[in-house]
Amino acid sequence: MAFQMSLAVYVHSVGSLFLTICLSLLVNFYHSWRSKGKQHFGKSGKIDVTFEDHPLNPNPDSQWVAYFKDNDVLVQIDKDVRRLCPDIGFFQRATEFPCQDVVNAAEMETLRKRVDCSVLQSHTVMKNRQGAYNWKSSKKSTVEYDLLPDGKEAHWEVVERILFIYAKLNPGLAYVQGMNEIIGPIYYIFASDSEREWSEHAECDAFFCFTNLMSEIRDNFIKSLDDSAHGIGNMMMQLMNRLQLHDPDVGSLMVTQDLKPQYFSFRWLTLLLSQEFPMPDVIRVWDSLFADSKRFDFLIDVCLAMLLLIRDDLLKNDFSSNMKLLQRYPVFDIHLVLSEAVRLQKS
Amino acid sequence: MSYAYLFKYIIIGDTGVGKSCLLLQFTDKRFQPVHDLTIGVEFGARMITIDGKQIKLQIWDTAGQESFRSITRSYYRGAAGALLVYDITRRDTFTHLTTWLEDARQHSNSNMVIMLIGNKTDLESRRDVKKEEGEAFAREHGLIFMETSAKTAANVEEAFINTAKEIYEKIQEGVFDINNEANGIKIGPQHSPSSPHAPSGSLGQQAGGGCC
Repeated sequence: MAFQMSLAVYVHSVGSLFLTICLSLLVNFYHSWRSKGKQHFGKSGKIDVTFEDHPLNPNPDSQWVAYFKDNDVLVQIDKDVRRLCPDIGFFQRATEFPCQDVVNAAEMETLRKRVDCSVLQSHTVMKNRQGAYNWKSSKKSTVEYDLLPDGKEAHWEVVERILFIYAKLNPGLAYVQGMNEIIGPIYYIFASDSEREWSEHAECDAFFCFTNLMSEIRDNFIKSLDDSAHGIGNMMMQLMNRLQLHDPDVGSLMVTQDLKPQYFSFRWLTLLLSQEFPMPDVIRVWDSLFADSKRFDFLIDVCLAMLLLIRDDLLKNDFSSNMKLLQRYPVFDIHLVLSEAVRLQKS
Repeated sequence: MSYAYLFKYIIIGDTGVGKSCLLLQFTDKRFQPVHDLTIGVEFGARMITIDGKQIKLQIWDTAGQESFRSITRSYYRGAAGALLVYDITRRDTFTHLTTWLEDARQHSNSNMVIMLIGNKTDLESRRDVKKEEGEAFAREHGLIFMETSAKTAANVEEAFINTAKEIYEKIQEGVFDINNEANGIKIGPQHSPSSPHAPSGSLGQQAGGGCC
């Protein structure tokens, strides 16, 4: 573990490489994939519709049915990625490397256009004196956040594409809220890399690492698996059991105050703590997490450490104050949390 | 702090309609233009006064996406009030109200007071759902209705407090069984005939009892 910790610190400056090493099991595959990656992206918006098919075709095999279903997923992703990591403002800025196939393609239906067309809008229909009908859109502007001009793309739009392609490639899972909070830090690490060679390929690299990471944590996003052996319910139970073992006072407080683990640790565990700390700290936590061979056991140790570090407050407070404390975890030196977690892991 | 009653609320509605912002405005009196996505549930509490009595509101703010509804549903049951929120600039959030309402009615106790809220009135220029439409929907389904702005705080206090008033009236009329915590109402420590600190053994049978 000491080695892992020092490795994690050492490679912090080369976060992208580190992340790739940790999340890439098939390195050779990765290299060939990266070269293909560029062709892969940007073509997501296109759909080929044959004459036999039409938008009102109720056949479940209809490409139009699939198209409209995809649009629902896309609109959901769109809402979520626009508000990704509001505290850092990075995702609202333009990327230096927009997908040229997308931003320069006039004839292609980009995700931007697709979202715009999919949002339900109301119109007022009025009959004038001649008996002719006028349609009037009641909206002056359709979007809540301004889009960047043509030829430019914001980082959130790149993330949107990654999530949409992931959803299309994994139709059983598609998109579940919270995945955006997983791809967020991954993409941020690549896209903000000072080495141009890395930041240029941020989109495919982030997609690749995200896919690999998701293969390990996808069960957390499947509600039917909530209570299975690998589901989130089991992880929350493990955390509570470990708490009971290490600090029976806090353990029984959780029971008497009815502080159910799903009230706070559901988010901690599902999002790998990405919403609990500021971005630099999240990256630091993830370094240790991904460097550990038993990643998700270590995640439970980190959560346990977080609880133990605030134990005195927890024991003093009433239910309401404790809920606020757990849902808005106080600012700590992140290394304190991690070294406590390492101590717990060894014990 | 002591209180006469504790009311449990839930806030429901589509993603991005401003549920978390309404809660933040009500509990902390501040506005965050872009709020983190709610995963699971968020919690807030505040004391209000009705009829000279201190009432503690315990508010559960839920995630908007369908995938989380299985989690959300467990909160419905123990709630005395629900704020059903839509965004006046997004018609789809208004058309989804029926589903939300069915869901809430199905999983909650029948006396739950539901307040329909059309949020984001600060974005009047982008309004896509008329106030009259909201009123009509509320009338048709027996809900209280209000338009709010979590940004300017317009009507936010009123929305939470009027819901509490309605619950309070129902208690006075004897509609709510206040001894059954599953109704989302709890009598404060100084009013309770039995010891307030003894956790009732039946707490576990109804989800989300949440003592305070």
